[in-house]
Amino acid sequence: MAGTFEYRQAREITGAFERHHVRFLFIGKSGAIILGYPDTTQDADLFVEKTAENGRAIVAALDELSFRLSDQDRREVETGKDFVQLRDGPFDLDLVFAPDGIETFAEAARRAVVVDGLPVCHPDDIIRSKEATGRVKDRESLPRLKAFRDWWAARQKT
Amino acid sequence: MDESVRQEWIRDFEAAARRTLEERMRYAFIHTPKPVLDDAPFRAFATTAEYRRWCEEHLPSWLGYGRDV
Repeated sequence: MAGTFEYRQAREITGAFERHHVRFLFIGKSGAIILGYPDTTQDADLFVEKTAENGRAIVAALDELSFRLSDQDRREVETGKDFVQLRDGPFDLDLVFAPDGIETFAEAARRAVVVDGLPVCHPDDIIRSKEATGRVKDRESLPRLKAFRDWWAARQKT
Repeated sequence: MDESVRQEWIRDFEAAARRTLEERMRYAFIHTPKPVLDDAPFRAFATTAEYRRWCEEHLPSWLGYGRDV
């Protein structure tokens, strides 16, 4: 079983993805936590741009990070499925090529925030994606996450 | 929303902001086995809607991935 996701691994992902020129952003609750949101989660979610070039770069970066991928798995990442779950690596990772509630990667990238060198979706985009899922666990967390977004935005202005 | 709850959340946010990112992540990421979800080393879904549907149909409702408990 994979281990707990750690700060060191967030830096390793970022390093490997940047070396391979992957276009990506942390998203979901893991993204919110990097922004400062105090809560718990189990794995990391990355919003990755859905292009063939980015897909090939992702596979190269995952190889460097020691994720074990079959030839079929590689093809699925390269051809750009909308959602990929990786459970055979040093930590659990979800690759989200088409998150609910966000039109394009380019738009999210324009609004993105960098925290200690880690690229993260803007809290508005994290909230939009969670609102769009309609999942129980997202509905439950949204009021507190929105309160965090408001607190975070006010703090950016000071 | 109850104002006392909102104030408690604000205190949580301020306390978190006094920690480093490394400390925040140490407290935030907790790995526990998830039934069904962890049973395959790799899954890919052609569309996000297909992924949501798979979660609704295959995961225990208490995991919270569905629209209803």
